[in-house]
Amino acid sequence: MTIRTSPEELALQSATATPSGAGGASIAPSPSRGSRAGRSGLLRGLRTPSALIGLSLVVVIYAAGLLAPLIAPYAPNAQGPDAFLAPSAAHWFGTDEYGRDLFSRVLFGIRQDLIVSVVAVPIGAIVGTVLGTLSTISKWLESVIQRIFDVSLAFTSLVMGVTIAAIIGPGLPAVLITVSLINVPLFGRLAHNVVRGLRSRDYVTAARIVGAPPMRVLFRHILPNALDSLIVQAALSLSLAVFIEGAMSFVGIGIRPPDPSLGSLLRNSINFLSRAPMYAIAPMVVVTALVLAFNMIGDGLNKGLLRR
Amino acid sequence: MVRYVLRRLPSAIVVLLIASVVIFFILRLAPGDPAASLAGPDASEATIQAIRHKLGLDEPLVTQYVIWLRGIVTGNPGDSYILHAPIAQLVGESLLNTVELALGALVLALLGGSLIGYLLGVVRARWAQTLLSGLTSLGIAVPTYVSGVLLILVFGVTWRVLPPGGIGPGFSDFALGWQYLLMPAIVLSLPTGATIARFLASSMRQTLDQDFIQTGIAKGLRRRRLMLGHVVPNSLPPVLTILGIQIGQLLGGAIIVETIFAWPGVGQLLLQAVTGRDYLLTQDLLLIAVLVFIVVQLVTDIIDAALDPRIRLERA
Repeated sequence: MTIRTSPEELALQSATATPSGAGGASIAPSPSRGSRAGRSGLLRGLRTPSALIGLSLVVVIYAAGLLAPLIAPYAPNAQGPDAFLAPSAAHWFGTDEYGRDLFSRVLFGIRQDLIVSVVAVPIGAIVGTVLGTLSTISKWLESVIQRIFDVSLAFTSLVMGVTIAAIIGPGLPAVLITVSLINVPLFGRLAHNVVRGLRSRDYVTAARIVGAPPMRVLFRHILPNALDSLIVQAALSLSLAVFIEGAMSFVGIGIRPPDPSLGSLLRNSINFLSRAPMYAIAPMVVVTALVLAFNMIGDGLNKGLLRR
Repeated sequence: MVRYVLRRLPSAIVVLLIASVVIFFILRLAPGDPAASLAGPDASEATIQAIRHKLGLDEPLVTQYVIWLRGIVTGNPGDSYILHAPIAQLVGESLLNTVELALGALVLALLGGSLIGYLLGVVRARWAQTLLSGLTSLGIAVPTYVSGVLLILVFGVTWRVLPPGGIGPGFSDFALGWQYLLMPAIVLSLPTGATIARFLASSMRQTLDQDFIQTGIAKGLRRRRLMLGHVVPNSLPPVLTILGIQIGQLLGGAIIVETIFAWPGVGQLLLQAVTGRDYLLTQDLLLIAVLVFIVVQLVTDIIDAALDPRIRLERA
């Protein structure tokens, strides 16, 4: 990994490395590569061992979540007569304090992360990238938009979550809004830096000189080359999203009971650790595997796309 | 140097002011009337009005905002609606607990992080590299709510060697208090320590490539002297920067860790305020969280600038 001494770059990098969130991999623009080479870089990145392991984990876990209604042996909120059953053939992970099947609850809990991953992260990524790109157009826009990013970065991950929960109340919408808002400055800063770097490159100047309209320059020549960095950030952001969903549900401002989520399952399990250790272990393993898997995909993509 | 500080200060203040406006006005958009919920379900309209007047909620919003800021600046932010105690006292007590937790975590993160980072920077053996970098990856990736519950499961419930939660006697009886502090501090320190280790290691690798290190080797410096006297000091600036950012984010981590271990700090107070819809307390705590982040960031930037004239003179 590379080290940067510019504080702004460091802020960007560590903004992804929030407490125990995604992080580690550094993001550097690789502006000279064309879009075709970029695509082969994507493949090269995904073929690294760490990305392959990460990708398989994500596919397996998210497929299990997606197919939960088909796979799960019980309805997630269906109560049974026997509380705290030990793991058995009938209840793979045992049952909880209301006799609900923990395996089914874990499967349905994964769906919350699935929703957050496919809804909130793309929204934050698109809004952030658009704002970040806009901020390269004029000095005036730049100072306004960068100030917005500064303010939203000051609400560090879970502080943002608490703020949103205070405004609209706890629940899945609060998680979705939090994850989107956290991602806006992450993608925004990145897009700003990469696009600004690309604007001064010779081939962009050449395109402008031959008379390509500004929008064409932006969409044909700049954004495709900025994509590599944004893709790596997306992997790290997905890891952060899973972390935030778990954290918000864990502290009681995310998914509300009785609906299961990995974070709320873990929270409830604390009271019964000696009676039902599987209650805690199952969501712990799944949430850690997801966060780690997205980080590994990010590391692999980083190697394939951004390092030469 | 003074000029650099003067240049950085206004933008920090602007960000803080915008944040305070956002915190104040957006929270007022939230549904629910604190006066009504405080008065109880059977209260008459007159009672609710009286409470609203007492809390100053019938003033125009801008006036309320000014009163709020003045209260904070003068150290008299009023009483909490739900906890029926002066906010200054509530925040003071819980802040002390959070600072204790954060300091414990910081000490552990610095010790562990610099040790592992140093080893990662100097060790050449492939298996050791894999092991150490795997450890830092885990430290960064494993969520605190997982490592926390895992520690309780192992040390608090299965082996019963450490108390599974609570704050104990704290600093007043440290012989007992550290047992309560140990697990939460370890959990909070893991991501920070792992991040420090990574930054130190890669910074050291870059420093090792520098010419002056070759000079040091050529003139026959002992390895220890070379490492501790030349490589490490020159590798520290990026570590300091990341450390500042990590400290600014400790409060977010503290919210989780305090929940796991029932540690009565500001994170717990903030959650109580939010779930109890106590606007005043919520606003104050959010503002403190943002203030801490901005101040730490500013201090980090200033230290960076003091160490590196290139930053200080940039765009001056």
